[in-house]
Amino acid sequence: MVRPATRAGRIERRIARAERGPADAVDAGPSRRGRRSTPYLLVGPGVAWLVLLFVVPLGSLLVTSLKTGSFAEGFETAVRLRNYSDALSESWEAIKRSFVFALVATLAAAAIGYPLAYVIAFRGGRYKGLLLGLVVLPFFTSFLMRTLAWKTILSDSGTLNTTVDRLHLFGALEFLRLVPEGSDRLLQTNIAVIGGLTYNFLPFMVLPIYVSLEKIDRRLVEAARDLYSNAFRAFRKVVLPLSIPGVMAGSLLTFIPAAGDFVNAELLGGPQQTMVGNRIQSRFFEQVDYPAAASLSFVLMALILIGVLLYARLLGTEELTG
Amino acid sequence: MTVLRRLAPRLLDAWAGVALLYLFTPIFVIVAFSFNDTGRFNLIWQGFSLDAWKQWTDSEPLTDALTLSIKVAAVSTLAATVLGSLIALALVRHRFTGSGVTNLLLVLPLTTPEVVLGSSLLSLFIDLGVSRGFWTIVVAHTLFCVSYVAVTVKARIRGFDWTLEDAAMDLGAAPLRTFRLVTFPLILPGIVAAALLSFALSIDDFIITFFNSGNEQTFPLYIYAQQRRGLGPEVNVVATLVLVVSFGLSIASVVVQRLRARPA
Amino acid sequence: MTKHPFHAPVPRMTPERLARRAFLRRSGLVVGGLAAAPWLLAACGGDDDDTGGATGGGGGGGTVRISNWPFYIDADDAGDPSKGQTIPGFEALSGYDVVYDELVNDNDEWFAKFSPDLAAGNPIGLDIAVLTTWMVERLIGLGYLEELDMANLPNVANLDPVHAAVAWDPGRRFSLPWASGLGGIAYNPTRTGRAITSVSDLFDPEFAGHVTVLTEMRDTLGLTMLSMGIDVTACTPADAQAAAAKLKAATEAGQFRRATGNDYVADLLTGDTWLAVAWSGDIISAQLEDPDLIWIAPDEGTMLFTDTMIIPRGAANKAGAEAWMNHVYDPAISAQIFAYTQYQSPVVGTKEKITELDPALAENPLIFPPADVQARTFTFKTLSDEEQIEFTTLFQDSIQA
Repeated sequence: MVRPATRAGRIERRIARAERGPADAVDAGPSRRGRRSTPYLLVGPGVAWLVLLFVVPLGSLLVTSLKTGSFAEGFETAVRLRNYSDALSESWEAIKRSFVFALVATLAAAAIGYPLAYVIAFRGGRYKGLLLGLVVLPFFTSFLMRTLAWKTILSDSGTLNTTVDRLHLFGALEFLRLVPEGSDRLLQTNIAVIGGLTYNFLPFMVLPIYVSLEKIDRRLVEAARDLYSNAFRAFRKVVLPLSIPGVMAGSLLTFIPAAGDFVNAELLGGPQQTMVGNRIQSRFFEQVDYPAAASLSFVLMALILIGVLLYARLLGTEELTG
Repeated sequence: MTVLRRLAPRLLDAWAGVALLYLFTPIFVIVAFSFNDTGRFNLIWQGFSLDAWKQWTDSEPLTDALTLSIKVAAVSTLAATVLGSLIALALVRHRFTGSGVTNLLLVLPLTTPEVVLGSSLLSLFIDLGVSRGFWTIVVAHTLFCVSYVAVTVKARIRGFDWTLEDAAMDLGAAPLRTFRLVTFPLILPGIVAAALLSFALSIDDFIITFFNSGNEQTFPLYIYAQQRRGLGPEVNVVATLVLVVSFGLSIASVVVQRLRARPA
Repeated sequence: MTKHPFHAPVPRMTPERLARRAFLRRSGLVVGGLAAAPWLLAACGGDDDDTGGATGGGGGGGTVRISNWPFYIDADDAGDPSKGQTIPGFEALSGYDVVYDELVNDNDEWFAKFSPDLAAGNPIGLDIAVLTTWMVERLIGLGYLEELDMANLPNVANLDPVHAAVAWDPGRRFSLPWASGLGGIAYNPTRTGRAITSVSDLFDPEFAGHVTVLTEMRDTLGLTMLSMGIDVTACTPADAQAAAAKLKAATEAGQFRRATGNDYVADLLTGDTWLAVAWSGDIISAQLEDPDLIWIAPDEGTMLFTDTMIIPRGAANKAGAEAWMNHVYDPAISAQIFAYTQYQSPVVGTKEKITELDPALAENPLIFPPADVQARTFTFKTLSDEEQIEFTTLFQDSIQA
């Protein structure tokens, strides 16, 4: 649970407590019955599974990342830390690019997704379910098909590209470094890849924000409107702070897959858009250089983990796990 | 100010409309191109044709890939739903040493990029000399689905009134009977939602599958391979069908919920 | 325009010829079939059971699983090879069921995908794979291949002597060529606005962002070397470095839109790509969609490659694989395949059979390159393991910014 530091939070807590009444005090408490071993029996198989297929593989990846040799000569177990410095120096540009792309995509997703979630939660009325369904629906078709459809939409001779050209918008895109200098195309540029990332991970942004907005007590919003006598201020003082956990969770759920993605860069990007995912993929699947691929994977994971831990400090793990 | 105040909601609605349009643009393209009168390359609009709709089952590699994807999704969803729900139940209902670590273990796969998950599993399979195929795909999918299931079920059942359980036991119900009659019906909607999510994630997963599939081709892998040599409109037909079926299912579930919610 | 025959749109198909091809394909009149050698019937003796096939990794007794590059065998109008002439013909004749995929996109990629299993001795679910000679050489060295049983391959007598004696597979114990082709340039003249003649056109800033290169090192790096006057048949790591530097500079300047496998064809068709490093016969499949496209052997030279059939270790149906190999070494069948793909056949007698099919094809410069093209055709030097890694690393880096 997020610490309700704001005034709105305190108000909400009070309302919630008043509503629940004393009978609910046991709610989160431990089961009074059942044996001690019960939780372990329940958790056991799943945890064993996760250990076996998440922790152990990571261990295997770690061992691989430190190996020496090549596929032809065979890889030897060793502690070759140079693999890491090599991975960092060789792929630094791609790593940087991945994080920038993912960050921009996350911001764009929030900018598109927050108002959308807000409208559904507060103005959806009886169409709430339908609207939410519409947001999720596109994601029932294949991720690759959607990305390939973007390739068609962004094609040089496509309507979108022609329109951007006619409206002389390429200059602006160039200024924002979204297309290369003197570009007359959208496809195989930064904006195509960032656009693809934004699109493909948008529901991961919209849904958590929607959930956090939906949880807000309507009476609280009304009270705030009366109190501040201004919808904007009421939003800023009450709704926004209460929806921050949703934004945070959505940002993580968008940022992480975006930073590690290689499909959007491969299909919508060109050589200038190589991301770290592409480097890992090509080290594994072109060069058969497992140690290089593994160390690069670890670098990526470490960087993301640092980011996540910083986030976790901000909002607490409970909120992260749902 | 008053003008703005009156205008703001309209602007918001308009923005949401544009966002929905953005979400649906590629879908329109996918659906439209399923009617394209073309053969091997479905890149440029050539004219309207129903051929692909009449013949989409003719392509054996396509139907094989689709079948494989459904099988993989079914098996891994089943496994993940059982494992994940049990963990969720334990975490919500019990306080025990190690729950923190369990929580962490659940979240980590979600915060790990797919390339890392995929490559670490591949690294393990190579180390163990395991041949990649159907089961390695299932194992990989179950891995990430367990986390999603546990987190989803947890979120859904956290606010429940567990005193009902105690009441049942007070009334003399045996633990298993209590579970069957009280606990299970309570948590079922959460489990169903998690299973659906897990199925959807599995059937569309590309990156982790790419690393661990060997020579097997799931539907996403089929698309990836085929787009290099020209992706025919029959694939758009399948994508459209998937869309229609899932839309139908969503509508059906909404209707069922409405009917149930209506007082008898 | 007239200096080299390839600069004129010789390989372009006129509508009549397109119609003719379609007719040939549809009528089912195409050759072969009747060359039913008795061995074939013998080979598939009690093998009619094909129930085990369709699903599962190992394959059943009656299924032959073949993995090849795209655009490499005759197909129906929708591009489905299993509905072309050759595959159904073989199935009818031999009783085998063929599962044919076009998943080979890049040699390194194929190796990376399957080598862990081949190394571990696991079957990979394929009876035949078609890879480029240098990769086959590596696979032989690693002991990943099954030895061919020549008793099942009487038609190998038709193998072109040019291919018969190779140092890395004396006596062709492990491999048989599938097809040869040339690495050159394909382009869209309406987009480029002028005829393309030279590798240096790939680096022309006028075309920046509309050029694609192949991820296959020997083609892209090879052509670049040729444009720099480097002898690709005897290049050194220093040469590779120089050529990679040229590519890298162009990549960083945004010259190349993408580095591709076979998917360059799709980008040429949408018009996003104006010119591409391209494999010769692919242009035929592309021209079915856009007759304006042209393929040329550049002035500086063109890269010869030969893709070769192999049987991976542990193949479930070795006899079936050999039956297929023998089948496609029948000149009549070979003519049927190469009249369609317009690559170069390794089978002696193909030319005669193709002439019977369509006299015009005997003059086809893609299937039978003219003397001046042959004079500037080069094969990339055989690399040692270390050189292979060094060259590949340099090259991969040069096509990613």
